[in-house]
Amino acid sequence: MGGYGDVKLLNDDGTRLDGRAIDEMRPVEIRAGVLPAADGSAYVKHGLNEAIVAVYGPMEAHPRRIQLQDQAVLDVRYNMAPFSTSDRIRPGFNRRSREISKVTAEALASVVLVERYPRSKIRVEIEILSAEAGTRCVGITAAAVALADAGIPMRDLIVGVAAGKVEDTVVLDLDKAEDNYGQADLPMGIMPATGEIAFMQMDGDLSMDELNTAIEYCFKGAADIYELQKAALKDRYDGGVSQ
Amino acid sequence: MSTQTVPQLLRQQLAILAESDQRIDGRGRWEMRDIDLEVGCLYNAEGSAKVTWGDTVIYAGVKFEIRTPYDDRPAQGSLMCGSELRPVAHRKYDPGPPSPESIELGRVVDRGIRESGCIDMANLCIVPGEKVWMVVLDIHVLSDGGNLFDAAGLAAIAALRNATVPAARFDVGEDYQLPVSLTPIMTTFTRVGGRLVYDANEEEELGGDERVSVTLGDTGAMHSMQKGLKGTFTPPELAEILDVAAEHCKNLRELVDSKVN
Amino acid sequence: MSNLEVGAEQRLVIPGESIGDCAGKNLGSGVASTNNGTIATRLGYLKENNGTIYVVPINAAYMPRSGDLIVGIVEAVQSNLWFLDVNGPFNALLPMSLAPWKVEFGDARNHMDVGEAVLARVQEVDECHNLVCTMKGVGLRKISEGHVASVSIQHLPMVKEILGDLKIAADCRIIVGDNGRVWVDGGAEGIRLAVNTLNSISKTGHIDGAKALLEATIVGGVA
Repeated sequence: MGGYGDVKLLNDDGTRLDGRAIDEMRPVEIRAGVLPAADGSAYVKHGLNEAIVAVYGPMEAHPRRIQLQDQAVLDVRYNMAPFSTSDRIRPGFNRRSREISKVTAEALASVVLVERYPRSKIRVEIEILSAEAGTRCVGITAAAVALADAGIPMRDLIVGVAAGKVEDTVVLDLDKAEDNYGQADLPMGIMPATGEIAFMQMDGDLSMDELNTAIEYCFKGAADIYELQKAALKDRYDGGVSQ
Repeated sequence: MSTQTVPQLLRQQLAILAESDQRIDGRGRWEMRDIDLEVGCLYNAEGSAKVTWGDTVIYAGVKFEIRTPYDDRPAQGSLMCGSELRPVAHRKYDPGPPSPESIELGRVVDRGIRESGCIDMANLCIVPGEKVWMVVLDIHVLSDGGNLFDAAGLAAIAALRNATVPAARFDVGEDYQLPVSLTPIMTTFTRVGGRLVYDANEEEELGGDERVSVTLGDTGAMHSMQKGLKGTFTPPELAEILDVAAEHCKNLRELVDSKVN
Repeated sequence: MSNLEVGAEQRLVIPGESIGDCAGKNLGSGVASTNNGTIATRLGYLKENNGTIYVVPINAAYMPRSGDLIVGIVEAVQSNLWFLDVNGPFNALLPMSLAPWKVEFGDARNHMDVGEAVLARVQEVDECHNLVCTMKGVGLRKISEGHVASVSIQHLPMVKEILGDLKIAADCRIIVGDNGRVWVDGGAEGIRLAVNTLNSISKTGHIDGAKALLEATIVGGVA
């Protein structure tokens, strides 16, 4: 977290620079089934972030050395498109995207019933098209919808959502300025039906009380996004009934 | 790219359909699938386009970088065009370094744009001999439902025509529209069931043979051609598809014109 | 309870969604009992039949079961066996001892080569997805004419329901594999009609009333 103190991130009336309340999320839009070639797919727009996820499988895990004899492997790739940020990113894997891919795979493996598909793999391809703080969370929200859309058995969805601290105040869902100049960032992957946490990272400076508030905000945000995830899946298939 | 088995029955069926001049999805020999073009759809790109072409979905995004010019062209900007066929696009694409297929796609699109001279490179000079703009065009394939070349070519030129040079952000003057004076369009023909057809879909590509791509400029001149995949064709066949290409290029150019200002 | 009634309006559920009180009922596929009550584990429609609650999934990969009739495509040949792509996660093994011909060792390719299609049955499948197919049985053979179309697994019951009408309308021989591949053999027009119908089932089969719509398509197609 960058130089705090010197950048003003809250207005005098307690709202944030973009006018949001401290516990208010950016607008979120979710659609399921957006890529014809994939077995399952989803699009999520969260603020100015945009992510598309394709799911393929289950299929035989190749090469053989990655096979697990009692469960499926989740082969997750998080990738930022070269034009997704203000300075172009060179295509290809880097340390950041590898780490995010790894922890995202482990989070998704906590909800997918992987034991149903020994020796298989399920490919989850997360492509970030536009980035404006919080892309790993947007990727997780989209991945959960795409997995469900592909018919993969799961015990819950996951919602990616973040809270943080700016000007000594805990806020929900950091935007770019708050992410750059704030004091803490806490991205979480929340299982909305069971209330468990499948993904968590944090950097910055938080007290125990602030952490509790941040977690409370994350759960509140997750509940809202969950409704949109459900609606996206149900709209895709129930949408036709009324026609 | 992992190899896909070509079902013999598919090739046989495509040949039977060709005898009565039919196609597997009911289209005519020179008929195009439904397409949709959106421009300016990516927040962080200086120019962008999304093409949905049948079951194919492709994004193109334009970014700018400041570079020192080439010695032989000290007052000219430059263009770099890349594409990546990432595993998101189809189950047949593997992760790893760019495959020959993805490099070919990027280079063919690049040549069509570069050779048409549609971008005024002199207009991309900031300080002669020191600083010029490099236009970086990235093609991002999200769903491969066949005929990636034409969809990528369309997304590329639409994104360029939508692009703004971000001079203010780099502190080198005011933003201005990227000067793109022409609209080169690519058309691709694939041998399916023994004869060339326009705009092959995924099944036709799987059970088909060689492909021939042609990029035509506004005046009808050819700016790039590429023959790919196993198979051969004859000069009269080339003449025939060039006639068809001219008609499609005209229509697609009008589509681009209607979406960008 | 009331929303689980048989024949009542279909309820679409998503993974993790609670499906209410299921006391005294058997839990079928796509349904699981957890600390948080009984939940759906797949996206699909909740159904109840003979006291068993289950989810009919909207999208599903083909999972072979022994006895399934399948349309396979030869992916690789070795001197004494074939590998078949059966539209599932794993390839199946077809040993030469289960082929309909007397095959000499090293002669497998001369009987059947890569890319050829077969009508076969799943002989056995184990927990780890090891899969063996047989071509010994009535009607099982190599397919050398017609077209192999695809239909999504979850729409197979619907395809089977309209199969009789479709055969008449298209004037084709049609064999529906349990693996979502459908072999259609007949005239070019008939194959087109059948393939179009199967494609539209895959695209719109999850919508109520699709069957009525399809019947109209079939009739329209012949007229």
